Amino acid sequence: MTAPPDLREKIARDLAPVRPLRPPLVRALALVPLAAAILVAVPALRFFRSDIAAIGFLRAWGFSIGQAIAGIVIVAAALREAIPGRSLPRTVIAGIVACGVIIPAVLLALTAPRFDIGPAAGHALAEGIGCFRASAFAAVPALIAAAFLAARAFPTRPSVAGALYGLGGGLIADAGLRLYCEYSQPEHVILAHGGAIAASIVVGVALAWVTRVVKDG
Amino acid sequence: MVPGAKNEQDAAEQALVALMQHYLGGRIDAFDGLYDALASRLRGYLLSLCRDAALADDLLQETFVQTHRSRRTYQPGRPVTPWVFAIARHVYLMNRRSTGRRLRLEERFASEVRASDVPHDDVRTLADADRVRRALRGVPADQREALVMHHVQGWSFADIAARLGIRVNAAKTRAFRGMRRMREQLK
Repeated sequence: MTAPPDLREKIARDLAPVRPLRPPLVRALALVPLAAAILVAVPALRFFRSDIAAIGFLRAWGFSIGQAIAGIVIVAAALREAIPGRSLPRTVIAGIVACGVIIPAVLLALTAPRFDIGPAAGHALAEGIGCFRASAFAAVPALIAAAFLAARAFPTRPSVAGALYGLGGGLIADAGLRLYCEYSQPEHVILAHGGAIAASIVVGVALAWVTRVVKDG
Repeated sequence: MVPGAKNEQDAAEQALVALMQHYLGGRIDAFDGLYDALASRLRGYLLSLCRDAALADDLLQETFVQTHRSRRTYQPGRPVTPWVFAIARHVYLMNRRSTGRRLRLEERFASEVRASDVPHDDVRTLADADRVRRALRGVPADQREALVMHHVQGWSFADIAARLGIRVNAAKTRAFRGMRRMREQLK
């Protein structure tokens, strides 16, 4: 089969040499400075958790850096998902989502001395909203950067790509938040911190669709 | 798949990879080569999805336009076929989403008969093809996709699994169940 003349002409008019996108993991490394900034800015703009000296450098900064790296790796998976023909298998997606839940939970379990540390009576809602807001806002720069990187590719499943980079951005923000919030009460952790990560996923999906629609004109 | 066919397929894929490199470099003859090598298979694939010859032609053109627009997402050295077919599938899904309609098999068959110069003694062959297509329509979409990709497009189960984001065994199961369902429909 030969190309129809009108199609060939259309292609020829726009045919300039292009440089292929770099591999997903390399492109995701662009988020490293941003992740580092988020990690430092969240506690620095407020205050560091009161027990930061007691838990030690490894469990404070080490674990947060590890969680931020996990977030960047998940964004890299989203960028891979955004390349046609390289969609992630369902089992891998399920594994990534499981990691997104397990990593913060395990780090909390390894850091918190006990699981009843929470806001003072009557302040649970305000403190919860504060943590949710801080985490959600901290995720915004990472989400925008990840959405931009993904939009440069061609996500054939925008919802999956968006959910993955939303999860990655949420984890990066939460890595900063755990240097600021020392509460370990399950309801606070699940609703405020987990809720912020879930919100980040929802925003990621919405961003992926918006960029898709904008790109399609 | 026999080793000879596999080698042939690998060689064809390598040729596509080379063409794609030239296409990224801005050569129109590379586009011609890609079109020549892929258009027929892509059209068959799109036809199996939309079951409308005219729509498949439109989607084929749109696939090449989208392929052109997103050519920077091709990663040099990687197989071209899954990349292009993923774009084709996306084009189909976008079309289905935006139009929100499915054309009936009978309409397509009628249009094919009207449009073609098929001699009358070939009508029976067409009728058989129509029976197969009707049977195919009764196969669930996920099974039909695997069935067509393997038995019509000649994809390996590993390629199908990679394309659909499922395990190899799941691809085999889908194709097997699809074939069984189709046989039941043809009885």
